[in-house]
Amino acid sequence: MNATFLRAGLVVWLIAAPLVAQAKCGLISGKGEINVISNAFSALNDLAKEMESCSRPGLKVTVKITPEARVETERAFATASASPFAAAVVSMGTFSGLYSRGQLQNMTDLAKKYRSRYNIEESMLVRVDGEVMAIAFMKNTQNLFYRKDIFDKHNLKVPVTYAEMLATAATIKSKESSIDFPIAQTFAKGFDSATEFVNLLASHGGRMFKAGSARPEFNSDAGIQAIETMRALLPFMTPNALASNSDDVMNQFQQGKAAMGVLWASRAERMDDPRASKVVGKMEFAAAPKANASGRVAAHLWWDGVVMPKNSGQDRDVVFQVLMEALDEETTRAANDRAIWVRSIYQPTRFGAGVTATAQAGAPIWPTEPFFGLAHGEIGKVLPEALAGKLTPKTALDTAAAAYEKSAADHGFIR
Amino acid sequence: MLLLMAVPLAMTFYFSLQQCALDLELVTVTQTGPFGSQAVVTQRARQDANGKPIERCEFIGFRHYERILGLDNDTTTSAAKNEAPNEFFAALKFTLTYIISTAPLVLAIGLLLALGVQRLSTRWRAVFITSALLPFIVTPVVAALSIKWLFRDNGLIPFLLSKIGVQVFWMAEAWSAQLLIVLYGVWHSVPFAFIVLFAGLQSVPQDSLEAATIDGASKWQRFIYVTLPHLAPLVVFVLLIHVMDAYRVFEPIVVLTQGAFTTSVQYLTYFVLLQENNPFKASAASVLTMAGIAVLLVPLLIKTYREQRGIA
Amino acid sequence: MNFSKRNQVWIVVALAIWLVIASLPVVWTAIISLRSYVDAFANPVKWTAPVTFENYRALWVDREFYKNFVNTAIVTLGTVSISLTVGCLAAYALARYRGALGFWLLLLALVFRALPHSTLLPSFFTMFDALGIRNTYIALIFVLVAINQPFTIWMLRSFFMNIPAELDEAAMVDGCTRFQAFRRVVIPVMWPGIVTTGLFSFLLAYNDFLLSSALTNAEKMTMPAAIANSISAESEALLMQGVAGAVSITLPLIILVVLFQRQIVSGLTQGAVKG
Repeated sequence: MNATFLRAGLVVWLIAAPLVAQAKCGLISGKGEINVISNAFSALNDLAKEMESCSRPGLKVTVKITPEARVETERAFATASASPFAAAVVSMGTFSGLYSRGQLQNMTDLAKKYRSRYNIEESMLVRVDGEVMAIAFMKNTQNLFYRKDIFDKHNLKVPVTYAEMLATAATIKSKESSIDFPIAQTFAKGFDSATEFVNLLASHGGRMFKAGSARPEFNSDAGIQAIETMRALLPFMTPNALASNSDDVMNQFQQGKAAMGVLWASRAERMDDPRASKVVGKMEFAAAPKANASGRVAAHLWWDGVVMPKNSGQDRDVVFQVLMEALDEETTRAANDRAIWVRSIYQPTRFGAGVTATAQAGAPIWPTEPFFGLAHGEIGKVLPEALAGKLTPKTALDTAAAAYEKSAADHGFIR
Repeated sequence: MLLLMAVPLAMTFYFSLQQCALDLELVTVTQTGPFGSQAVVTQRARQDANGKPIERCEFIGFRHYERILGLDNDTTTSAAKNEAPNEFFAALKFTLTYIISTAPLVLAIGLLLALGVQRLSTRWRAVFITSALLPFIVTPVVAALSIKWLFRDNGLIPFLLSKIGVQVFWMAEAWSAQLLIVLYGVWHSVPFAFIVLFAGLQSVPQDSLEAATIDGASKWQRFIYVTLPHLAPLVVFVLLIHVMDAYRVFEPIVVLTQGAFTTSVQYLTYFVLLQENNPFKASAASVLTMAGIAVLLVPLLIKTYREQRGIA
Repeated sequence: MNFSKRNQVWIVVALAIWLVIASLPVVWTAIISLRSYVDAFANPVKWTAPVTFENYRALWVDREFYKNFVNTAIVTLGTVSISLTVGCLAAYALARYRGALGFWLLLLALVFRALPHSTLLPSFFTMFDALGIRNTYIALIFVLVAINQPFTIWMLRSFFMNIPAELDEAAMVDGCTRFQAFRRVVIPVMWPGIVTTGLFSFLLAYNDFLLSSALTNAEKMTMPAAIANSISAESEALLMQGVAGAVSITLPLIILVVLFQRQIVSGLTQGAVKG
């Protein structure tokens, strides 16, 4: 009996072992040395690990995670010879540039071929004029983080506009002794502050570019108002705010030093990890505030996805399958709380509440013009000067607009 | 060896006179994705028969240089131009400020430490030298990060300072952000000055010192007339290396202040390369950077040249 | 020397202050590397906190940091050996050759050291893509040697200048060729100088982050580049690995200086002093 049982167990094990091994990446046939470049944030580490786990003799997968991924991806995909990276994990900002330069591989046939095996959903397919150019896997947006316990204690309402946010901040500053600086937002030079500006500009009804052209229009009255809205927040923020990036802002929330502010939804989940946070269970998430009562919410919707360069020198079927292994349902299920996944099996958590609310409040999609990144970069460069009061908002924006026009002309966007 | 250095330099100069751009057309496309469908006006590169984007390169002479130096006339910017400082000169100004403010401190502290260690017993010397070298050997990114962590909101240093009643937010204002970078520079470079000058002290001719003592020279006089002249070439050496290294200051600016209130020539080039993604303009910024260092090094180089001729 | 006790005390106090300043950032980083994020970056700062080795485990086991360690070892050793070999020959030639060309070479070499590293990236990219050696150890070593060479040559040259030309002339009379004279006679005398110069090359190659992170992919990245990436990677788990990595990177350097501290001083005494 015992021996039979053992033997049966052995047989089952012998049969099952290869099956188990096959479960992950087992169906991929083919060889290659696949380098992937990826943006850096927490859910992407899970994906990177998934991809690398497909490595086996003859198939090597490595993922380079770098905060400078955008430029490196652009450079890699632009090489005349085979791109050093066979795939890239990018946000939609990077996608538009790559697409417009004609550097992306059309994945329509691959998406069709492997659709059923990896259950690729239609909402994951990023199509341009019907052609699949990227596979999206997560959504992101900035939304309002706030301390529910403090709001309840002082009977405060969740602010819907920036004006309400300022009033709430004033109340907290005067009444709540544990908080010196009620507001925390990413005002660091460069990407962070420029992104806040772009959000507020849209909310004030302004536009980045003149209609149907690459000429700048952000140095408008709405642009000035956007900077003034940002400046009004400064008295309620840490004096180090102009050097505060997403990490610093997250730390201020986790340490219980700030009571509210707009931050990336992908950070929400980090508020409830006791190894990282002192405010476990105390933070809630709502729609990003509006610049004024009549405007749209001051936030944009983003997606993150995977793309392949036109020429990678690798077997495109193999590359695509490795990517899809990482984006499969299992990943979403296993890391459900780590991101706002695109897949329909994603179970919304309270960490995603702010994204839903922000989307419902009509947040626009992050600008997709290929020249947008250049303008964004120039704005980020001068914005701190305007926030610190060294330049008037008008001068700062004119400077950025002039610099942008020149660099857009260099790239051929403006003639 | 010449090839290793001259080829990249020549290529950099060659790039700086050009500009390549894609042949773009204005198109309206329908984009669908996780957020539904929308029509987008965008620009797209025209492609050749092989599906490769068409790129055109143009020889533009010194246009990039004119732009970086703010010499181009552009009517749209004249109002802003008067108020907003030129980026390159602002970067150069802070880089020079950094060099000028760190150099004397580095030399002075380095010399004092060297003189102090000279008085220690041999056993203690070894211990001291090893630990005193720490700031110089630590990987600069790591060092800059470590310092950032000490100076963050309520970090160790601001916390200790607040205990004695001084409340400073180091990244809040221009003076403190710049001071922080300078402090980093001094901290990082002192050990090199110290170790070189200490080595120099080991070879101070003992007979001259003794002769001076017999002639009745005081300790101070011996230092001024024997030790210092002996160290003089070393001071020049340390200064030369420090100027060259300080001219490249980059890591502390990126790490400590993220460029707020501070900028440097290397930071600027890096920015053009990364944010503008324009290697051609970045090359021009590089060439200007090189010109800057050449000018800066002239006095030191003249001295070296004389020395060379003296030997020849 | 007859120094008064009081002077001695002041000197010791001043030196002790420098030691605190010099080591504080490193020591503090080492302390917080043994904490979890919430304590490491507490606001206000925490003096004591539970000790955990989780960050190191995550870094070396999960992240397989030993691979970056191997990369650093390959790149650093490659750079040091090549730059010393080339540097010795070039510096020897420069020290013996007395013409204007030598000066101009030196000048070019100096400008190269002062050059911000990022300025050369565009041309390096073009070169390496053309040669198809981007993302190889060779490419990175090549760049590091190029950047390091001026300093190496500059230092070695001043060591060679201290060796009287008569020494190699004497050797040549004894039947050595010029190269043998260099190898058998000059090099042994030069040893401390070579060790010192080698150490400086080592530091440059070991510490570089900009070039490594720009020129290599994940599997060939050196330790500082890998650390810099994980520190700005928007995740505190990675940040804490970065902190542990910072300490891990620093330890070999400290060991190295402890081992070679005497040679550095004697090397500098012989060489740069007279340079």
